[in-house]
This record gives sequence, C-alpha cells and structure tokens, in this order.
Amino acid sequence: MALTRQHILEGLRKIVGEEQVVVDEKVLQESSVDRFRRFEAYHGVFRMPLPAAVVNVSTTEEVAAVMKFANENRINVVPRTGHSATEGGLETALENSIVIDGSTMNKIINIDTYNMQATAQCGVSLQRLDDLLKEQGYTTGHSPQSKPLAQLGGLVATRSIGQFSTLYGGIEDMVVGLEAVFPDGGITRIKNVPRRAAGPDIRHVIIGNEGALCYITEVTVKIFKYFPENNRFLGYTLDTMKTGFEILREVMVNGYRPSVARLYDVEDGAYHFSHFAQDKCVLIFVAEGAKPLADATAAAIEEIVSRYDECKKVDARLIKRWFEHLNWDPADLVEEKREILETKNICNTTEIAANWSIINEIYEVCMRRVRNEIPDLTLLGGHSSHSYLNGTNLYFVYFYNVVDCKPEEELSKYHLPIKKIIVEETIKAGGSMCHHHGVGKHRTQWIEKEYGSSYYILKKLKEAFDPNHMMNMGTIIPLED
Amino acid sequence: MNILVCFTVMPELELMLDDDWVVDKNLHIDVGFLKQSLNCFDESALELALRFSEAAQNLHLSPKLSALTIAGPEATAMLKTLSALRFDPVVRIDSEKDLRFQSMSIAAILSQYVVDHPPQDVVLTGIQSGIGENAKTPLLVAEMLEWPCITQVIEIEPVDETELTVTCQVDNGLLQQTIQAPCVLAVGNAAYSYLRVPTLKDRIQFGKKAHEILYGGDFDALEEGVELMDLNLAKQERSGTLIEGATPKEKAATLYASCLKERLKKL
Repeated sequence: MALTRQHILEGLRKIVGEEQVVVDEKVLQESSVDRFRRFEAYHGVFRMPLPAAVVNVSTTEEVAAVMKFANENRINVVPRTGHSATEGGLETALENSIVIDGSTMNKIINIDTYNMQATAQCGVSLQRLDDLLKEQGYTTGHSPQSKPLAQLGGLVATRSIGQFSTLYGGIEDMVVGLEAVFPDGGITRIKNVPRRAAGPDIRHVIIGNEGALCYITEVTVKIFKYFPENNRFLGYTLDTMKTGFEILREVMVNGYRPSVARLYDVEDGAYHFSHFAQDKCVLIFVAEGAKPLADATAAAIEEIVSRYDECKKVDARLIKRWFEHLNWDPADLVEEKREILETKNICNTTEIAANWSIINEIYEVCMRRVRNEIPDLTLLGGHSSHSYLNGTNLYFVYFYNVVDCKPEEELSKYHLPIKKIIVEETIKAGGSMCHHHGVGKHRTQWIEKEYGSSYYILKKLKEAFDPNHMMNMGTIIPLED
Repeated sequence: MNILVCFTVMPELELMLDDDWVVDKNLHIDVGFLKQSLNCFDESALELALRFSEAAQNLHLSPKLSALTIAGPEATAMLKTLSALRFDPVVRIDSEKDLRFQSMSIAAILSQYVVDHPPQDVVLTGIQSGIGENAKTPLLVAEMLEWPCITQVIEIEPVDETELTVTCQVDNGLLQQTIQAPCVLAVGNAAYSYLRVPTLKDRIQFGKKAHEILYGGDFDALEEGVELMDLNLAKQERSGTLIEGATPKEKAATLYASCLKERLKKL
C-alpha cells in the first residue's frame, strides 16, 4: 500500500533531519512545475499534484538514502538542481512525489589544469565554475543561455549544449566521468579517463537521462585554455535561410571550427538585430582559441562568405555587444515575469535537429504551418545555433498574445499545437524532435516515433534501472494510462 | 478625444562597455552598434494611451491616437510597431540638428506640430528621456501651448469627449483629478511599464503603412542658450562584501554591527 504523505515526511525526516525537508506550500507549488508552465505559475495556477516535500540534500550518501527509501516505497522522485528546465521535466506528475534538490551540493572539488579537467558537485552553477576557471585562464567551453542559473547536474541530465558548441561540443563531449545514484541507493562512479574501449560507453546511460534513471551527484568535465583576446567576431546580413544553411554547411564540411556559427531568419533577426537587420537574415560567427587558429578560422570563413553576393558584412561590435548580453540571469527572470503578466505576451521555443539535406525543408514547412494554423502570434522565427559535419539544429522561437483563454488553457491553445506541428514535421522528414532541451514530459507522445526500432533499447534501460517506476515518471517515456 | 503621444527612441546604453565611451571632437559618442528601444517613460505613455482608447471605446467615445517622435531612420522599426498597434498617424520629424540636451528646441518643435495639426486634446509623453534626464520638455511644451500640465502621471481614464480623470503621484500619495482637455500629461512611474505587442496579422495589415516624415528644418526650433562643452562617463560602480558566518543569525549580527548600527543611530 502506498505511504501517506505523513508517513513519507516522517521517513524523510528520519533520513536527513527536519530542516532539510521543506513542506512550505509556496515552495511545493513552485516545485511542482518548471518553466514549461510558467504562464500558469505566474498567474498562481498550479495544476500538477503537489510534491510531498522538497528534500535539500547535502551529500551523495543522503541522496542514496532518500532514493533507497523512495524506491522501497515506490514514491516518485524528481531530481532537480538549478530549476531552469523548459520542457516539463521537473513537473511532479504523480501524487506525493519527492523533489530531491541538489543545489546545496555546490562544492567545486578539483580543478586539474595539468590533466585539463574539473570536478564539481551537481549543485555547482556553471557560471561559478566557469568564472573561477577564467580567473585562471581556462574555460569549460560550455555556455548555454541558462548559464547563470543552471547547475552541473541538470546540465548533464538534459544533454545541454552551449553557444560555443561548434568548437567545444555539447555537454556529452565534455563530460569525462561522473558519480550517480541509482534507485536502489547504489552509488556509481565512472572514472575520468581520456577514452575507453571497454564495451559500450556507459556515460551515455547517465548523460541525458533527465532524472528518469538516476540522480547525478558529481561531474567531471574537460577544461580548455581560454584566449578571449583572440576572439574574432564576424557578422553578415543575407536574404534567405537557404543561403545561410549552405554557408554553414560549407564551413563545417571544410573542417573549420568556429566556436559560434548562428543563422537567424528575418523575424528572429529583427527581434535581436533590429538596429542593423530589418528584413534580413543574419549570419554570425565567432572564431576563438590560440591566435593562429582563431585568425585562420576567421579568414577561411570570410573567404567562404565572400563567394555569396547577398551577404553584407556588418560591424563586428554589433555582434560582440549582443553576445555579451545574451544569457539570462535572475533579474531577467523577474523582468520576464512582470512583462508577461502585463502584456500577456509570452515566448516559447521548440528545438530540433536534422541533416543538411532536409533542414531548409523542415524550416519552411514548419514556418508555413504554424503561421497559418496558430492564432495570436506576435513573432514567429527561427535560428540555427549549433552546426555539425552532417547537419544543424533549428530553434523555433514564437511569441503569442494569450487572449480569450484562462491561464491554464495557454499551453493547449498555443504552445502544444505549435510544438506538435514542429515535432511531427521534423520526425516525418527524418530529423530529431529534440536538439538540446530534452524530452521532458510534453514530447513523450512522439518518443517511439523518434526512436523507431531502437526504442526497445530505451525501454529496456528504464526497466533495468528503474524497475519500481519511481524515477521522474512521465519524463522521456510517457506515463501508462 | 485626440491624444498625441510624443516619444523617444534611444540606444540601449546599458549595453555599452567603458571602452565604448569614446567622445569625438564634435562631442558625439558612436552608439550605432547598439539596439534601439523606447524610452521607458514613453513606453508607459504609449501603453496608457492604448488602454485609455479601449476604455473610451467602451464608453462609446471616439478616441484617436497618434504618435510623434523626433528621430532618424533608426526609429523605423518602432514606428512600424506603433502603426500595427493602430496609432494613426505615426510621425517622425527628421531633424538634422543635434538636439541632445536641447529641451527648449525639442519643446518648440513638438508644440509647433500640435498647433499645425489640430485638433489635439491631450499631449501625452514620458516625464523624461534617458538622454539628458532634465524632465523639462513636457513642462516647456505646456508653457508654449499655454495648456496646463500634470507630471508624474500614472493613469488616465476617459470621462467624456472633453474630460478625463488623471491620477498622478504627489509627495504624500496619489492625486486623482478630473480635468478638461487640452492638457499636457507627463507620465512617471506608471503601473504599466511595457507596451503591448502587436500580432503578426496586425503587423502585416497595419504595420506596413508608411509613416509620415516631416523635415525638421520646417520647424522653428528655439535656441537653448546653453552649449554642450564636454561629455564624461559618470561612474556608478558599486562594491560588494561577502559576509561570512556559520548561521544566518551570525551573518545578520555581522551585517548589523558592520553596516547598519551606525547608520541607524543617525536616523
């Protein structure tokens, strides 16, 4: 028989003590959702089952004990660190869930500049780690827009990616080793080595598990030498996304590795670059690293772009200043909340990935369908921000005015229908429905189509590591009716 | 009731780095690489005008909103947005003169526009611009038009075709008064600080309407009587101190002893 809320709280208090078990209703409400339901939350509407408690953990052993207790009693656990998720991955889908908050596990354990790796607990904010590294002339190379908020556990759990990914890679390219706790309370460590060929790379069972398999408690990432003085910023306006994709492809297939390679369409470009790119697409590159590399990369990109007459170069300062103010911080979130409540205008996004041969087709069909089928849009645009040898991503950005509906109807009237169009068109064309935000709880209905015949492997992982179905249920794999 | 909102589009100066503050021999600072946005008080004024218009329509009145700025082509994106929000006409006065810190000249141009484009009942504007910050322009416009002026306005509501209720902040609270147009209203810290966003359909249907461009030379700008002599970056740096302590109580005690105790004694 399922434990009552009272019994759950008693059990948790025995494990970690009274002070670390938070039951304040406001905290529980805010812990029942993430940014996916922020419109409702800003209006004080909380429809998800409230968790029994938020447990602030301070050691891996505490995480293990809480997980073991939850597993034995089949209580849903939602792992959390920075609370900046955007796809509903932190929603408490089941009654009496336990939110395990690792943000107080915030020690930077080791910075090893000889072996070029840094080890930190799950609750260390990426901004803090990167700032500390930069003081010593190094960087993680990881810079998602959520950098001031996001913490290492969550960044690894969602397979995050940063603005400089074209050079440094996504988090999966940076993680060398991990510590994680599995549902039975077992603590697992994967050692930090440059490479291994001893069977499958089991780091990838943990990276991107979105809290559905285990709790990440410690992370070791690569670090890189940091040469900001060598950064070269390049910006261009151009007429079409198709040309932009062609240029990105040429840069990538010729082996150049700018840290940033971004292409904005007209609408998205006007939002960010209205001071120089009205009615134009915008192409941005940053070349960085040791001076000979940065200079050679920038020169090669300039030569490639020069072959396209429609591209017009813009002042590098336009790009540099924009980059310096791209990331969120807590003040931006307060500002965003005020603006949404006043204007009822909200921005949401859906990100996908696809090969070069189909990316423009996906872009065009999604833009056409969303524009024709969704009401009250105030901006519909997209950009490519992470490119690879064989393709790129597309980050669809849409703002809409929420009109003639209650706060709790916003998702079903706008965000979810838009997401449905983008996801279904992407999968139909052969792309991936998630590029870097994770599946969360609102793309699970397409997860079998996303995986195809390989879904078997994913399902087996869940069955093997979470046989009692207590890890962040409804995330990645849909809840069964 | 005809409401003319006078607004300023200005560069987002908070994006400037210290190195960007290079003053040339003409006392200009290159801000061409910065994004333009509405002056915050003017943004409130524009939104207040839209809310006033909606309330007036609910009373079966016939409000008419227009918008005016003195700016170069860099304001074009904002003018399109205002057209999409149904301000009509949206007017840009292209002045070749350097009007920074020239509130007398700006007021003369605005008041001449009001006189030359009747009928105007209310001139609504932000209390001050982020460049200059002198808060003189609305008062000077009112003086030149010989209209009454209310400052620190936070709300306006329609009464009938000639009267409106104006709420403004005063030293000891809020003052609400019903007044007869014409008048100049200078918006301060209004509750609504964001301009609403037009839909894509409205942008297509109304936003592409060409805005009016008037030549600044056709206006009789007054001489300010002051001359810009120098420009310097005013440093507004703050320092931070990390208070160490084992418990919140210990930290609070340290904060009290080191920062608050002496200050509180002086109160």
